[in-house]
Amino acid sequence: MLSGKPSVFLLMVNGQIESADFPEFDELYCKYSYVYGHDWAPTTGLEEGISQITSKNRDSNQCFVWNFPMEITFKSTNPFGWPQIVISVYGADLFGNDVVRGYGGVHVPTTPGRHKRTIPMFVPESSSKLQKFTSWLTGRRPEFTDPKVVAQGEGREVTRVLSQGYVTISFNIVTKDLKKLGYDSIPANQTSDNTGF
Amino acid sequence: MAELHIIGQIVGASGFPHKSLFCKWGLQTGCAWKLLSGLREGQTQVDNPVIQDMAYWSHPIDVHYATKGLQGWPKLYMQVWHQDSFGRNELCGYGFCHIPSSPGTHDIQCVTWRPLGTWQEQLSQMFVGGGPQLKHSDLIYTGADRYRLQTMAMGKVHLQLSIILRNFDQYGVEY
Repeated sequence: MLSGKPSVFLLMVNGQIESADFPEFDELYCKYSYVYGHDWAPTTGLEEGISQITSKNRDSNQCFVWNFPMEITFKSTNPFGWPQIVISVYGADLFGNDVVRGYGGVHVPTTPGRHKRTIPMFVPESSSKLQKFTSWLTGRRPEFTDPKVVAQGEGREVTRVLSQGYVTISFNIVTKDLKKLGYDSIPANQTSDNTGF
Repeated sequence: MAELHIIGQIVGASGFPHKSLFCKWGLQTGCAWKLLSGLREGQTQVDNPVIQDMAYWSHPIDVHYATKGLQGWPKLYMQVWHQDSFGRNELCGYGFCHIPSSPGTHDIQCVTWRPLGTWQEQLSQMFVGGGPQLKHSDLIYTGADRYRLQTMAMGKVHLQLSIILRNFDQYGVEY
């Protein structure tokens, strides 16, 4: 049993990429990865993954279901650089080429418990109508060279995008020693009452 | 010293008359606050929504402040602009909101307004675009000289911010 204050705190993320809503497209798969600051390091779990290809249901339920598990644990000394999950969705176009259908990102929730996040997905826009037509013809749509740019705040002012869908992710978050290091991330009405029975 | 972490994103904007929108944002604090890491201001991407009315930016905010006092709690101010197909930028709205002072995840909808000019200016704005803008942008988050201004309501900016506080309870601060 270590005496004294711990020096790192742990963040355990269990979750799944549940489903997506893209009204105009079919047969999509997604990739996820994490972006985090210099003070953070993953200890266990997978940092990246690629899901299966899923299609819309034939009946009225017009959403895509991946049910794709994500499990990872981070350790850190500083909440700055809190991990973000970055999702890219790809699908086949009319000619069979693999094109990007959306990028999106969200911070992993900071409070322990169960959370659901529906994030919008967007693609870079073609700069002219001619470029739009040639990219449709050749299958080389505008895409980000690194999907992780979605997780950054700098350099975004020059990008023009179209938002065209949503992805729903559910998280179960557990933190360890965040409180012992002095950080308070839990809202007042959620703190447990330890007075006993 | 007490510390504040603001972790979240500017999700998007809804209720504006135009579709292709971007947002310039910034954080304003009092002099007791010191920025330790993160960007204090920025500009989001321009989003043109295809299927829905809301413009989505998903612009991440990750800021770490240290403070010696409670005065001047951070405020987030924003300017929503419309970029038309010719590449011209037109002001759509100003708004501000205080950063929440309690830990946890907060969904915030920040209302915005636009300055209203004379009826001649409004008429030309209807045809050509443009319109009056504030000369000093600090009027967005202060109330000092607002009584001279006439404004019109515009849409809402949606934010999702998670707050982590450190050492505030050591100083007796209750939240």
